[in-house]
Amino acid sequence: MNVGVAHSEVNPNTRVMNSRGMWLTYALGVGMLHVVLLSIPFFSVPVAWTLTNVIHNLGMYVFLHAVKGTPFETPDQGKARLLTHWEQLDYGVQFTSSRKFFTISPIILYFLASFYTKYDPTHFILNTTSLLTVLIPKLPQLHGVRIFGINKY
Amino acid sequence: AERVQRSGAGGMERPQPRANGCSGAAHGALRNGYVRGLSAPDTQINHIVHNGGLYKRPFNEAFEETPMLVAVLTYVGYGVLTLFGYLRDFMRYWKIEKCQNTTEREEQKDFVPLYQDFENFYNRNLYMRIRDSWNRPICSVPGAKMDMMERVSHDYNWTFTYTGKVIKDVINMGSYNYLGFAQNAGPCKEAAAKILSQYGVGVCSTRQEMGNLEKHEELERLVARFLGVESAMAYGMGFATNSMNIPALVGKGCLILSDELNHASLVLGARLSGATIRIFKHNNMQSLEKLLKDAIVHGQPRTRRPWKKILILVEGVFSMEGSIVRLPEVIALKKKYKSYLYLDEAHSIGALGPGGRGVVEYFGLNPEDVDVMMGTFTKSFGASGGYIAGKKELIDYLRTYSHSAVYATSLSPPVVEQIITSMKCIMGEDGTTVGKARVQQLAENTRYFRRRLKELGFIIYGNEDSPVVPLMLYMPAKIGAFGREMLKRNIGVVVVGFPATPIIESRARFCLSAAHTREMLDTALKEINEVGDLLQLKYSRHRLVPLLDRPFDETTYEETED
Repeated sequence: MNVGVAHSEVNPNTRVMNSRGMWLTYALGVGMLHVVLLSIPFFSVPVAWTLTNVIHNLGMYVFLHAVKGTPFETPDQGKARLLTHWEQLDYGVQFTSSRKFFTISPIILYFLASFYTKYDPTHFILNTTSLLTVLIPKLPQLHGVRIFGINKY
Repeated sequence: AERVQRSGAGGMERPQPRANGCSGAAHGALRNGYVRGLSAPDTQINHIVHNGGLYKRPFNEAFEETPMLVAVLTYVGYGVLTLFGYLRDFMRYWKIEKCQNTTEREEQKDFVPLYQDFENFYNRNLYMRIRDSWNRPICSVPGAKMDMMERVSHDYNWTFTYTGKVIKDVINMGSYNYLGFAQNAGPCKEAAAKILSQYGVGVCSTRQEMGNLEKHEELERLVARFLGVESAMAYGMGFATNSMNIPALVGKGCLILSDELNHASLVLGARLSGATIRIFKHNNMQSLEKLLKDAIVHGQPRTRRPWKKILILVEGVFSMEGSIVRLPEVIALKKKYKSYLYLDEAHSIGALGPGGRGVVEYFGLNPEDVDVMMGTFTKSFGASGGYIAGKKELIDYLRTYSHSAVYATSLSPPVVEQIITSMKCIMGEDGTTVGKARVQQLAENTRYFRRRLKELGFIIYGNEDSPVVPLMLYMPAKIGAFGREMLKRNIGVVVVGFPATPIIESRARFCLSAAHTREMLDTALKEINEVGDLLQLKYSRHRLVPLLDRPFDETTYEETED
């Protein structure tokens, strides 16, 4: 089993987020995470929401903006080896539907978390920093940019 | 259930069909080639493709969409496997678990790494778990039944040991043996053995130097006669035929329009040629027409000069989807926009058409309309190698300029004799009707097998007449489970998953053969039914109502029931 045996798509990673049912699975996953956190008895509702937000953003940062390359060998001699998954989406074309969806979803989660934490200052700082870590890498100006050489190779 | 008669051209009272083959799905009664819901007989839409009478026979192709629940569960499956993969990698890194993959030596750790570890992630964490479904060693001729060496693994597929036992008479549903010529007895074998004692095995030279035997010339004349074209040329390897000849035909400044699901050899040949490649949606004639129009109107990207050549690359039968190319429409488009057509008949030569002459005969078209006809001898003729056929000027050009002719060794004489004998058998020139019987048997097997699988409720992709039958599995665990369960029941199948296919379209692919008898197919269907119930593979929402057995003929009836 190798890439390109049954199709001529050079890098399947670019198409994964557009596949049928991926957005729904993602939404269900976030919902499941939240329900699990709500069921833990010593977390109050604001804590559960902030934790959902923070854990979701942490996971999104790791999988979309930290891990580079593809988990399989592609037939294009590794053009995408130094690119994160976010940069690989749709071969680098900006403002496609997947990119818009994954930009808007942490923002929606942030609104919900702010509401349910009643805009408490500590929660606000946590939620906002966590949102910024996940929004700033998505800006088109930061496509391929590695600040201070972190995560370059 | 409604009875809908399907026939070929004609049907003035039916709504205007659209160019890409869908005929009027406006009010949702038609989806993916099946009629859903009972509508009044007078508004019954004939869902057969008929584009202004180009098609002389019904063209039924369906790719049922992945059910949403199955898609979600597939992603969850891959997600869980990925998380466990990270966990295992972590344990291997911190030496909690023994690492069985090859790694660099300790002394080399300070150098820049040769390979990226992450590129092997899928291989070591997903593929290794189900690796025993591939590379199974066979120890007999791959006919309708074969013998397999039994292997067992004590460390979860990292290493295999042979138990010494041979699993006998495994029904072979994976070999490309469409007409059953993979035999070690019979007239083909006798002829090949005779030629072996006469010519030996090796040719020891390329075509252009000392490797041009009179056997090769005889084969090429026979292939040209078989296909109905002026001239043909044969090469030693099917993959090399595509990858070495497309660069000889097109170069920089030319445009290649290639189908989305073309085989790796076509993709490699297109890339090696240096031409611009544009991809059109699979078997979608609207997409192809749009690309052709854009190419002719806009020309080359910056200079706006006209393209030197436009070459359309399609396959006769696509081996992973089981779909047949819409050849009448492609040829109409090619003529309208004055481009060239390269048809790769690797899986369709011998397997389609009433005389086994391939997809051109299947649609009843003129072989001279296809500029370059390519095919392989591997699948239906039980040999190896490939050919390119077409006009005499083209083939004479290729004899000089093809990379295969200059650098690659030519076909081995016993293989050539096998091809000659099997081709004469198919044409009926050996004095028997064995060839014709095999072609008919394959067509009957195809129709029967596909119909029964659809009745059982599996999702089957592709055209009704193609001998390649992909059965959808979708979830990663079911790929491994299906392969193993079928082997336990003595049936060998080929399964394939991500990243070879799109992430939610993993499948098992059956290749039917004329050598399969009705009993073998019934046994296989019984076992597939059992495994399907065990693994819950019957996803199809459009079940066919079982028909009374009807004879194999042109007009067919279909009843569907919600």
